[in-house]
Amino acid sequence: MKKAIGDNMILKEWGLDKGLELVKQAGFDGIELWLGDVPWFQMSTTDSEVRELRRKVDNAGLVVSNVSTGLHWASPLSARDPKVRALAVRIVEREIETAVLLGTDAILLVAGLVTAEVPYNEVYQRCLEALRPLGEKAARAGVRIGCENCNAEHRFLISPREFWQFLNDVNSPAVGIHLDVGNIHDTGFAEQWIEIHGPRITRIHVKDVMKKRGRCGDQSVYTNLFLGDNNWPAIRGALTKVGYDGWLVAEMEARYRYAPDLQFHDTAQAMDRLISGRL
Amino acid sequence: MGITRRRFLGYAAVAATAGLRGRPLDLWRLGRSVGTSRSCVLLDLKAHGCLSDSVSGYESVLTSAGVRWMRAEARSVSPARGAVLIVPAALEIPPAAVQAIVSYLQAGATVILESGAGFAAGREFRVHRVELRDYLRVRVEAPVQLWSAHTSSQGIPYVDYSWPHSAKVRDFSRVVPLGPQAGDVIAWVDGLPVALKRHGGRGTLVFLGSPLGPALWAGDAEARRWLFDCLGEAGGCAEPAIS
Repeated sequence: MKKAIGDNMILKEWGLDKGLELVKQAGFDGIELWLGDVPWFQMSTTDSEVRELRRKVDNAGLVVSNVSTGLHWASPLSARDPKVRALAVRIVEREIETAVLLGTDAILLVAGLVTAEVPYNEVYQRCLEALRPLGEKAARAGVRIGCENCNAEHRFLISPREFWQFLNDVNSPAVGIHLDVGNIHDTGFAEQWIEIHGPRITRIHVKDVMKKRGRCGDQSVYTNLFLGDNNWPAIRGALTKVGYDGWLVAEMEARYRYAPDLQFHDTAQAMDRLISGRL
Repeated sequence: MGITRRRFLGYAAVAATAGLRGRPLDLWRLGRSVGTSRSCVLLDLKAHGCLSDSVSGYESVLTSAGVRWMRAEARSVSPARGAVLIVPAALEIPPAAVQAIVSYLQAGATVILESGAGFAAGREFRVHRVELRDYLRVRVEAPVQLWSAHTSSQGIPYVDYSWPHSAKVRDFSRVVPLGPQAGDVIAWVDGLPVALKRHGGRGTLVFLGSPLGPALWAGDAEARRWLFDCLGEAGGCAEPAIS
């Protein structure tokens, strides 16, 4: 397995170049690029600018692990407004295009957003309708779409079997799950999600969660690896069982208040221990 | 009002070929009769519609219910073919669609015309409103966002239908309310009239200012029952095979 960290962890005042240098120094193999979340990678970023971005990543001795985005929280595929939905589709298409330019084969999306206003059944159907043609586009580009399990945050596809059925309904080998082992909270067990989804896992986000600290969805419950309640030996065992040998991508939602560069080093070392199984 | 001369001439031709002598409004002065065919036609406006999920909703329900139905484009619709014409999520209503609606009504059919303009803004909505007013005599007001003033403590702004039976159907965030006009208001949401039933030609026009199709698509049982009863009232379609 290889380890990466998101470029949204790089402080804005550091800038991309310094951030990439730190990521490399900390021992990561790659970097996850967040479309729309960082100044150097926006929907308006041109193809040539994306190529320049790749050159910087290459020069730092890293590779792009995957393309992610948080833009679908504001513009979900499940929106009722057709214009918002069209924008959501365009965001996915741009992720696919940039993934090809950046030399990676995986993108992340938050598939749908259940709200008081837009009910579950609508969200389910609308996401299927959107993902089927997007899956075909992704397949043609040699890219896999990983729908992230955001569980309590998007109130959608909350159990592993529900997610499994959703992927069956999408019925595209190019659409799988970007598994976040920290998002499951007290709705289940990450190791069981790994066992159920196995080869459908496109990438894995790693973070820890302190279940006893509060309700699901509250970001304050997230914490660095090994500080929370995830059963890491069980997670490591499940990864071995299903033969997962891809990217582990650190998504540290809780930031160090001081010495923020240290979090990169600490996280990389914790991931090394996870990968080696020395837990 | 955003209608080009070309489109105006198209509508004028519709009125003439529909035997209305350039006065489409006369349509509403005629009486009603029962349809003779037993099929339902789903008019797909394609680029002129705006909610593909609405079309999918009607398709899935008509299919699963065993109703004899067909999907058609406006230019290929034959009035003799059906007792019911459903026009899902209409935004721009092109002359051929107006012609299809008028000819169905003249033939004594029921037309369910669903507005898809809830999310339309500016010129898009103005054109929609003018087309409804001038060629189908349906008066609508600007879209209303139901959820902006709505708090969770006030509950869900369900659309309450009173015809053909009382039914409570999920809202679609925005509605196109009715203006003052002839006909029976058959649904309300948050105090706004949002659906109308009116005789036209020898048929019946049912106008929906809150789209039903997405609720059908999402499997809303009451929405399905409402549609079945509406089809039953039209006398044209088979009884549903499912509840």
